Amino acid sequence: MSARSVGSRYRAAVLGRVLLAALGGYAVAALATGLLALVLPMPRSEAVVTATLLSFTVMVAVVVGVFAMRSLGRAALLVGGLALPLGAGLWLAQALAGAA
Amino acid sequence: MTPVVVLLNLALCFAGFGALALSLDRHHRDALGGRVPAARILPQRLGGWGLILLSLAAAVMLEGWNFGPVQWIGALTGAALLVVALLSYRPSWLRPAALAALPLGGLLLPVVLMG
Amino acid sequence: MRQGFRTSMAWLHAWSGLVVGWILFAVFVTGTASYYRAEISQWMRPELRAVQADPVRSAEHAVAFLKTRMPDAAGWYIELPKPEKPVIGVHWWKSLEGPFHQALLDPETGAPTAARDTKGGDFLYRFHFELGMPPMLGRYLVGACALVMLVALVSGIVTHRRIFADFFTFRRDRSAQRGWLDAHNVTGVLALPFHLMITYTGLVTLAPMYMPWGVQTAYKGDQIRFYVEAGMMPEMAAPLGRPGTLAPVGPIVAAAAARIGEAPEGISIYSPGDARPAVVAIFEEPHGLAHLHPQIAFDGATGAMLGEAGTAKAATVTSAVMVGLHEGHFAGPVLRALFFLCGVMGAATVATGLVLWTVARAPKGAQAAGFGLRLVRVLNIGAVAGMPAAIAGYFLANRLLPLGLADRAQWEVGAFFGFWILLALLGALRPAMRAWPEALGLTGALYLAVPVVSALATGEHALAGTRFLGFDLAMLALGAGLILAARKAARRGASALNSRRIPGMTGEEALRA
Repeated sequence: MSARSVGSRYRAAVLGRVLLAALGGYAVAALATGLLALVLPMPRSEAVVTATLLSFTVMVAVVVGVFAMRSLGRAALLVGGLALPLGAGLWLAQALAGAA
Repeated sequence: MTPVVVLLNLALCFAGFGALALSLDRHHRDALGGRVPAARILPQRLGGWGLILLSLAAAVMLEGWNFGPVQWIGALTGAALLVVALLSYRPSWLRPAALAALPLGGLLLPVVLMG
Repeated sequence: MRQGFRTSMAWLHAWSGLVVGWILFAVFVTGTASYYRAEISQWMRPELRAVQADPVRSAEHAVAFLKTRMPDAAGWYIELPKPEKPVIGVHWWKSLEGPFHQALLDPETGAPTAARDTKGGDFLYRFHFELGMPPMLGRYLVGACALVMLVALVSGIVTHRRIFADFFTFRRDRSAQRGWLDAHNVTGVLALPFHLMITYTGLVTLAPMYMPWGVQTAYKGDQIRFYVEAGMMPEMAAPLGRPGTLAPVGPIVAAAAARIGEAPEGISIYSPGDARPAVVAIFEEPHGLAHLHPQIAFDGATGAMLGEAGTAKAATVTSAVMVGLHEGHFAGPVLRALFFLCGVMGAATVATGLVLWTVARAPKGAQAAGFGLRLVRVLNIGAVAGMPAAIAGYFLANRLLPLGLADRAQWEVGAFFGFWILLALLGALRPAMRAWPEALGLTGALYLAVPVVSALATGEHALAGTRFLGFDLAMLALGAGLILAARKAARRGASALNSRRIPGMTGEEALRA
């Protein structure tokens, strides 16, 4: 992968992965932290700390996953497939907490 | 007391890593010449891992479950670095040094246990 | 990255390591130096002598000083004198966004100390996570780099095929690329537990800033509530919003000391000009790994004790242990030396990785190096030799700048950046083959000069007393190590030149332009 052989398509794909890993990885980690802080079966402060401690592992796992996928499309599916259920769960947890 | 325990850990880990390194052909060739005699590989590896585990046990016994493992990991890195340095610059010293570390660890162990 | 898992991880390792390597190197070097932050501060204020200071009187001196500086502050913080820092540190701020002001007071007189104006080891400590930038920006940048470092560690472990078979292997006599790869592996693998620990715990240290979303959802963003419930902070009364008088602080300190059995290490006073200020006495963390300081809150209007911080539970203790491990305050001299060694190995892992990136991509034969490769080489020298040179320059400036100079502490910081820029320019302007040996040699000479200049400037040297013997020896050892490295780099450069036309030896040419 020398500098000369990289085409603009390749560069765009790399840029796409970097953006997906950084923004998508952080989004998944943030959603997971927000959700776990609400639903973990422990005192509120403990749930927050546990979720926060785990968040960096989550983000690293997503970043590695994004770069390990065969194509940019699959990587996007991975991030979307994690972010959507987490986002939905968070919405639900907050709605339930609001109703209670 | 703690510095003595770190020294004990260093001595045991160094001897253990020395045994492990000398069970590998590449390092055996540099340090002693020739391949590792087949009959020595297994005992040396068992002995090496045994010394490293003994060092962990000593650290936990003497320093408790919180400080023990932290000190042990520090000593692990220091001892391994020492083995690599010897292998790179004075490979023939490795075996005598590892053999000397063993009685040093043996001497320190009763000292810390009594202290 | 279209190939197998290991190939994509090798790609990720090489590029993620490169983009954050220069910053990470600076973070590792200043962070490792921070293990000796107190010793550095002591050396940089040679005028200070150990004194037996009375905590009650010190606190009263501090409050008298702060009342003249900013009676309507949002907060004051008083660091009481301790053996390794025999001065009163006072801090005051109008808003939590800053600016944060500070001064050092003489514990005997309560007047600003006569010791030279310097930031001491605190500058290196703060640079370690703020990079000398606006604090928030620097912290986010360092956090992003730390996360990429974690990614580089994970992808590096995956990439490194034979971790155990190569555990002890450092083939310094083979090709340059082989030697650098072995050096990178050895420093990376032998201290791997430390690298993983220090990077993860570093993120945890600033986690409330990087990952505030748990507090956001579970506490609607109320951080104070969270800290109180977690047992990290005592419950405090909210200010009333009308002016009032602060109760005498001496009896508060005495009551706090009587309660815990030792004097507090610091006193926080929130809204000191309010009718209901809050005073919190903060104590040294008890012997243990966790970074959990006992705290007692007082009503600042009446001086009445309100209560202590609650007991932290499992997860909070785990988090505090991680922060404690990162800071290493619990470590005695031998363990601290091992931590320091591990920190040096962390810096070496980053540095060898950076050099390896260029060596592995060195053009074959007579081809000229492309712009990207030349840029990386120049930045490598600027970062790897420049950072230590900047610290040496900072120490030298501490001894050489006139004591009465206005904004003296700022000039020292200027020297830090000045030496850094100077070294980076040297690396960029000299021919590539000479750049490494010259930059490393010059940096080594700067370190060797530190004890000499210090002895001439202060009259303190090994023959006159052992107060700074450890510091002087450390400087000499660093200088000698750097000069040794410079000589090796020069020899490598020469051998690369000799083997120029041998096609099979292109790896050796790596350090040639």
